[in-house]
Amino acid sequence: MKYLSETALRASALGVALMATTASVALAEKAVTIGLTADPSHLYPLAGEELSSNIMYYHIYDPLVKRSTDLTFGPGLAESWENVDDTTWRFKLREGVKFHNGNDFTAEDVVFTVEKARESIRPDLVANIASISAVDDMTVEIKTPKPYAVLPNDLAELLILDKEYTTEVGDEKMDREPMGTGPYKLENWTKEEKLVLSAFDDYWAGEPKIDTVTFRPITNPATRTAALLTGEVDVIQDLAVRDVDRVKSEDGFEVITRPSLLNLVLAMDMREKSPTIEGENPMTDQRVREAIARAIDANAINEIVMNGLATPSDQFVPESHIGHADGMSFREMYPVDIEKANELMAEAGYADGFTMTLDATNNRYVNDAQIAQALASMLAKINIDLELNIMPKSNFWGYIRVPTENSSFIMSGWDVPEGDAGSMYGALFYTRDKKEGYGQVNRGSYSNPELDALVDKADATPSIEERDAYLQEASKLLLEDIPMIPVHYEQDIYAVRDGIHLEPRVDKFIWAFDMDVAE
Amino acid sequence: MTGYIFKRLLQMTLVLWVVSVIVFLMMSFTGDPVFMVVPIDATDAEIAQARRLLGLDQSLFVQYGRFVTSLVQGDFGNSYVFRQPAMALILERLPATLEMVLVAMALALVVAIPLGVYAGANPNSRISRTIMAGSLLGISLPGFWVGMVLIFLFAVHWGIFPSSGRGDTAEIFGLRVSLLTADGWHHIILPAVTLSLATMAILLRMTRAGMMEVNRQDFMKFARAKGATRRDVLYKHGLKNALIPVITIFGLQLGDLIAFATITETIFSWPGMGKLLIDSIYRADRPVIVVYLMLVALIFVVINFLVDIIYTLIDPRITLK
Repeated sequence: MKYLSETALRASALGVALMATTASVALAEKAVTIGLTADPSHLYPLAGEELSSNIMYYHIYDPLVKRSTDLTFGPGLAESWENVDDTTWRFKLREGVKFHNGNDFTAEDVVFTVEKARESIRPDLVANIASISAVDDMTVEIKTPKPYAVLPNDLAELLILDKEYTTEVGDEKMDREPMGTGPYKLENWTKEEKLVLSAFDDYWAGEPKIDTVTFRPITNPATRTAALLTGEVDVIQDLAVRDVDRVKSEDGFEVITRPSLLNLVLAMDMREKSPTIEGENPMTDQRVREAIARAIDANAINEIVMNGLATPSDQFVPESHIGHADGMSFREMYPVDIEKANELMAEAGYADGFTMTLDATNNRYVNDAQIAQALASMLAKINIDLELNIMPKSNFWGYIRVPTENSSFIMSGWDVPEGDAGSMYGALFYTRDKKEGYGQVNRGSYSNPELDALVDKADATPSIEERDAYLQEASKLLLEDIPMIPVHYEQDIYAVRDGIHLEPRVDKFIWAFDMDVAE
Repeated sequence: MTGYIFKRLLQMTLVLWVVSVIVFLMMSFTGDPVFMVVPIDATDAEIAQARRLLGLDQSLFVQYGRFVTSLVQGDFGNSYVFRQPAMALILERLPATLEMVLVAMALALVVAIPLGVYAGANPNSRISRTIMAGSLLGISLPGFWVGMVLIFLFAVHWGIFPSSGRGDTAEIFGLRVSLLTADGWHHIILPAVTLSLATMAILLRMTRAGMMEVNRQDFMKFARAKGATRRDVLYKHGLKNALIPVITIFGLQLGDLIAFATITETIFSWPGMGKLLIDSIYRADRPVIVVYLMLVALIFVVINFLVDIIYTLIDPRITLK
């Protein structure tokens, strides 16, 4: 019996193989297998977000505004848009777009998506939309609560759902059998094993070059490298730092790196009294903050802890962003200088230093625990006794949460894929509890009326140029005031086999539509 | 026998209840699951909304009450991360783990018993010493290291086996099984070998110790004297009497491997349920952890029950009360 079933299987496998060969001869099917660090948790964009899910979302769905590989913004499902007045936007939708089930994409779907998002676990996606209405089948009108120049950038994260299908199947089924307008549709998904996408031939931006994309979750970094070297996968995400040389030395493979958007920053407490510091809080004095900045050697951290695979950050946001101050660099303003740092400490009256605790993670950023240790030895040189409080990320976010009752000095990362410093400055540096939706992550309790005014002005203008000018001024002010020390951008490391064309995206979202396979 | 089964069931219910309470309490120390779900710059209102959607806006006591109430109605709760029934998430991954563990345990038995009997019967031969030294390695080498070495040698270097994943599966009774396809076997060998090594070594040493003990007994000499072949003496008379402790350990190891094959699964990216447990712990996904550990407790209780029954089959002098 067993024999019989095995022969039957073999016979059918042979049949499939034969069919596959004939098909490949006729069409030259292109396929690629990608090894990811984790299986996606969701395929329904309003159910949550993490990197693997995000990667799937952008294959299956489309946003109104498309974010390119290097963070420029252009037409997606919306063909064009204009400001009717300071707070009203009109988006002209693309004609002839179809969902994978053949339904037409219309303004109703956009309105539905916005309303659905508001009720979901991701209301932040539509936080800057006061109301939305369909003007006609192919036009939507969006009102913002206040003038908001970067609304299109925000909309790049809102993926449009099919109203009819989503209403019919419900949230839970959307997570398993998603329906969008994206370049790929879901073929099958075996959890933790593989997720197969196939090209959507009617895609509005043209038929995808690669016909079948298979994603495999391979959590263990060494196994991921092995899977690439054995040819089981063509591309891997997050090549382990220690495997970089190994893969480079091997014939037929290529290592691709690019600085990510994730800026590792150190937030300093600015309250008179800080939870882990006895007596007065020295960090209320700008000279102490400058001394700390001068004692931290970002280049040394890069070379010793990160194996050269980080990029020391010059500001709080990357150069590509709105609000990056032209020509200014934190590293040039405060070069490593222990002598100067000690002088500043003495001037501020802390020649003998003080003791405080650094809160950091051990499983969130690349080599985070080692970086924390390096910081402790660097600050010891200016007599700051840095105690380390290192914990897994599941505890961390709740522990450091505003009103930050436990922390004086926090290491965490921040990225702004919207390409604009405004949201970061509003969340991280705006005075706490002054305005709804501002200062909610201001963990250092920084408060500077000048900065608040600049952020207010930036958020009140409908002009991108003016916004950029205000935010640049804000950047300058922050770089001088040092409420936070930028350390470095992590680098994203990919490895591919020869013949695969991959241009990594700044936001890390691998997108097969932009990839190609040599024939 | 009925009384025995009833007693066992009662014990089991108690164990499951204790597990659920402990896990519920422990999880309140491992971080707030809401922060694993919302974006890092979420406002208070957004966090409150997420908390409400996940049912985390109530006190721990009320949450536990809700959990138990739905439990007796057969609802094990939804994962915070996946927003899907926790039980379904686990059961979906159970077959993959089970088949890997079964192959590993079969492998362990087939290798360990004969070698153990041989080493027990001939404690001083050179082969026995080699076997014992090998078993020591099997116990002391950590599984993740063995796994990595096997991948390096057999997948990367020689290209005999694939490095990871589960391969093709065939469907039988609605379950996806890879043991029915050649590709499935091709994929299962390395993880199963990795998983079996430690158990193999322990079983081997237990068998050997049992055999050495039994060999000193008078009935072994009598059996030989009455004319039974050496092989019959060893396997029919000797092994049967040496087997009780081996079976006890076998049962415990079986439960252990099903529940905590996590490391092997992670290394070979085997889509089993151990990996789900680790991921859930990282994400503070309490419903999954609770159901998982309750299921594991259940598996242990059932296996031990079966082991008890096997005792009576091997040694009729043992009765279950």
